[in-house]
Amino acid sequence: MVTYIIRRLLWAILLLFVVSFITFVMFILLPSADPAVLRAGRQPTPELIAAIRENLGLDKPWYVQYLIYMRDLVLHFDFGYSYQNNVAVKETIFDRLPATVSLAVGGAVVWLLIGIPIGIISAIKRGTILDRAAMGFALLAISAPVYWVGLVSIYLFSKDLGKLAPIFQGSGQYTPFTEDPIAWASALILPWLVLATAFAAIYARFLRANLLDVMGEDYIRTARAKGLGERRVVFKHGLRSAITPIVTIFGLDLGILIGGAILTETVFNIPGIGRLAFDAIQKSDLPIVQGTVLIAAFAVIMANLIVDILYAFLDPRVRY
Amino acid sequence: MRRVRLSALLIGLIAILALVAAGCGGSDDEGGSGSGGDTGGSAPAEGKQGGDLTFLAAADVDYLDTGQSYYTFGYQVLYATNRPLYSFAPGDDAPQPDLADGDPQISDDKKEITVKIKTGIKYAPPVDREVKSEDVKYAIERAFSANVPSGYATSYFGDIVGAPAEPSKGVKEISGVETPDPQTIVLKLKRPVAESVAQALVMPITVPVPKEYAEKYDAKAPSEYDQYVTFTGPYMVKNDPKTGKVTGRDPGKRIEMVRNPNWDKETDFRPAYLDSITIEEGNDDLTVASRRTLSATSPTMCCDSGQPPIPVLSRAISQNKEQIGRVSGGGTRWIALNTTKKPFDNINMRKAVIAGFDRDALRKTRGGDFIGPIAQGFIPPGIPGFEESGGEEAYKDIDYMANPKGDPAVMKKYLDAAKEEGVTPSDGGDLLTIATNADPGNQTAQVAQAQLNKMGFKLNYRKVPQDTLYTKFCGVPKSNYVICPNVGWFKDFIDPQSLLEPTFKGAAIKPQGNVNWSLLDNKEIDDAMTKASLAPAGDERSQAWADINKMIVEQAVAIPYVWDDNITLWSKDVDGAMNAYFSGPDFSFTTLK
Repeated sequence: MVTYIIRRLLWAILLLFVVSFITFVMFILLPSADPAVLRAGRQPTPELIAAIRENLGLDKPWYVQYLIYMRDLVLHFDFGYSYQNNVAVKETIFDRLPATVSLAVGGAVVWLLIGIPIGIISAIKRGTILDRAAMGFALLAISAPVYWVGLVSIYLFSKDLGKLAPIFQGSGQYTPFTEDPIAWASALILPWLVLATAFAAIYARFLRANLLDVMGEDYIRTARAKGLGERRVVFKHGLRSAITPIVTIFGLDLGILIGGAILTETVFNIPGIGRLAFDAIQKSDLPIVQGTVLIAAFAVIMANLIVDILYAFLDPRVRY
Repeated sequence: MRRVRLSALLIGLIAILALVAAGCGGSDDEGGSGSGGDTGGSAPAEGKQGGDLTFLAAADVDYLDTGQSYYTFGYQVLYATNRPLYSFAPGDDAPQPDLADGDPQISDDKKEITVKIKTGIKYAPPVDREVKSEDVKYAIERAFSANVPSGYATSYFGDIVGAPAEPSKGVKEISGVETPDPQTIVLKLKRPVAESVAQALVMPITVPVPKEYAEKYDAKAPSEYDQYVTFTGPYMVKNDPKTGKVTGRDPGKRIEMVRNPNWDKETDFRPAYLDSITIEEGNDDLTVASRRTLSATSPTMCCDSGQPPIPVLSRAISQNKEQIGRVSGGGTRWIALNTTKKPFDNINMRKAVIAGFDRDALRKTRGGDFIGPIAQGFIPPGIPGFEESGGEEAYKDIDYMANPKGDPAVMKKYLDAAKEEGVTPSDGGDLLTIATNADPGNQTAQVAQAQLNKMGFKLNYRKVPQDTLYTKFCGVPKSNYVICPNVGWFKDFIDPQSLLEPTFKGAAIKPQGNVNWSLLDNKEIDDAMTKASLAPAGDERSQAWADINKMIVEQAVAIPYVWDDNITLWSKDVDGAMNAYFSGPDFSFTTLK
C-alpha cells in the first residue's frame, strides 16, 4: 500500500508539471489580453509598455518565463505575483481557499444526505409514485443549470430579494468561519442547497441504478434465502457493493469543486478559488490562473488518491 | 392517475417560477422618461453626520497608488481618500483648489505654472506629518519612472522641463519641478502649454507622496507603494498604523474606507458626512446587485460597472425615482472605421456607412433614450466645445449626420460616389471586425454587424473579451482590423483636448495601446490640434476644439452613437451625490437621510 501511495504521488507531481505546462502554453498561444498593455493604462507609450513588460518578466521568451516560474514554485513554493495588483498569488489563493472548501464540503454533505436516501428509497420502491416523483425531480434538477437554480433560489428564498419565503441569506453574505461561525453557516445554506441540487439528483439516479443491479445478483438472493431481513440485505450486502462507484465519482466531484465552484461562487458572490480564477481569466492574470489551475489539479489528484485508498476498505477484493 | 399527479406537480412548479420571474422582471413599459434630467453632477443640499455605507461593486479598483490609478472606479475611492492640487465638487464645471491654496498662476509666456499649497493638511498615520510641496514634486517624478507606470504622465506632463521621454529606471529628479519653499511648487515647461497643463493638475499624480516613506516601495519593480499608500483625504483605506500596510483592501473582495483621523475639515470643501464606506466586490450580477440596493434596509449603493439592467432601471424610474443618481459619462461611444484599410480608405464609402446607419438602434442596445442622447460628434455634453459644436443637434447640416435613424437615399448617394472612384463595399474582402463578447457591447456589435451586412459588406466577425479587444486587436494597428464596433473614450479632465487628441491625432498613433482606432492621420487636423492646445482656457479654446470636432466629423472616420450617462442606485435611506468629474458617486458628499 505504501509503495502504491508513493508511486501515485510521484505520478501526481508529474501530472502537475504537465498541467502547469499546458496552462502556460495555452495562455501564450491563445489570444488573451496583453497584461503589460492592460497595466499601462489608457494611453501608454511604447516605452512604458516595454518597461512594464520588463518589470513583469514578460520580455523573456515564454519557455524562460516558464522555467523561472517552475524554479520558484519548486524551490520556494512561490506561485509568483499577480500582474494586476502585485499581490503574492500564494497569499491570495490561501486567502480564498477556506470559502471554496466551506462551499464544497458543505455542499457535498448536503447532496450525500439528500441523494443517497433518495437513491435507496427509489430502488427499494421501484415503480411506485415515490420513485417516479423522485426520479422526475432528479431529471429536472440535473437539467437545470446551476446559475439558473442559484438565481431563482435568490429570488425565491433570499432575505433581501426573496418573493416566496425569504428565510435564507442571499448573495454577498459570506462570512469566514473564523469570524462568525453562525453567520458563516447561515450565508452558506442556500449555496449549499443550490450546489447540492444537481449532484444529489445525479447521485440518487446513479445509486438507484446500481442498487437495482446489485439487488438482482445471486449473492443477494442467497442472503435472502438464508433468512436475512430485507433491511440487512439492502444495507449490508446491497448498498456496500452499489455505493463503491459512487465513492469514485464523489472523490472526483469533491476534488473538482475544491478547485473552484465557479458558477455557485459567482452567483452568490462567495470569494473562493472559482471566482478568483474567473476574474483572473478575464484580466489575463496568468500567475493567478496558473495558481488556481494547479490547486484544482492538485485537489482532483489527491481526491482520486484518497478514493483509491478507500476502495481497499470498501471492497475487500481490491489490493494494492 | 399517477401521471396526472406528477404532471400537476410539474405544472405547479413551473407556474410558481413563472410568477416569480414575472414579479422579478418588471415591465419595460413602466419607465423610460427620456434623457432629460440633471446630468451635470449633484449633491444633497445638506447632510447628516455619521453612518456607514456599503457599495456593491463587481470589480476591484485598478490601483490605490495615486501614481497609477487611471479608471473611474479607482477615482471614486481616490478622490475620497486623497487630495490632488485641484479637484471638483459634484456640481462643479471648473476645478477648485484642493491641496492648492488658490488658482494656478500662469506666467505671461505660458511656460511656467506656480501653485501655492495650503498649510495644515496632514497625512494619515503612520506618516502623520504636514504635506509639503516637495511631496507633490516627488509624486510627479515617480510617475515618470518605470516602477510606477502612469498611463498619462507623458501625455499631460511630458512638457515639463527635464521630464524623461521614456520611463526612468528608478525615480529621477525632474529639474522643471521646483519647490522654492514648502508651500510653493513651480512647473517649468518646454513649450507655452501652461493652460492645458494647468487643467491636468486635477489628475491623481498631483496627490502628494512623502518621499522618505514611499521611496523604499518605489525602489521595487513594480512599485509596492500600492499596498502602503498614504492618505490625505477625509477618508482612508484601513491600514496598519505602524507600518502603513493597507489592510482594508482585499482585491476582489472588499475595500474598507474609514475616517482619516488627521483630516481637518477647515482645510477642505468636502463635507464628508459618512463614517465609513465599505465596497463589497464580486457582485457580477447587476440585476441582483441593483435589486438588493433598491430594497436594502441598510445604507447601500451600487454599481461600479455599466448601468443597471434596463428592466430594473425602468422599474426604478417609475417606482424609486429618488433612488437613482445620474451623471454625464463625459465621453462618446463609437464604431471605428480603419481609414487605412479597404474599403474605408475611401471617404465616400465611410460617409455612406454613417449615412445608412441606424445609430438609434445602436443606442438602444445600451438603454435607449433614457441613457443619453445620440452622439453627433466627439465632444460630449459638459465639456467645453460641446455647445460650440452645436450641442445635441450638432452637424445636422452635414447630410450623412442628419438622420440618426439612417437615410438610405444619402447612403446611396455616397455609395455611388465611391463606385465612381472604383470602390465598392466588397473591396477588402471579409472585413476583420473585432467585437466584445460581453453585453451590452456584444449586442451593440451584433446590431452593427446586421446593418453592415445589409449594406453589402462581408465581415470576418470575431468576438473576444474586452481587454483582448483593446490590447491585441483594436489597439494594435498591425492586427489589420477594419472595424471596431465597441470603442469609446471618456474625459480625463474637463477639457476637449483630453478627448480628441489621443483618439484622432495622427501623432498619437502607436504600435500598441493605440487609441486612435480609426488611424486618422490628417496633417490639417494635427496642426489645428497643436494650435488649439496652446489656446487659453475660455471661449477661444472651446471654439478651437469645436472646430476640430467638426473637422473630424467631416472626415467620417467613425460612427458616433451615444453620449451615455452613468447611473448609480442607492437605498431609500441614502441621499447620494454624483460627481461630474469622475462620472460616478461621490462618497465625500453622499449622506444618509
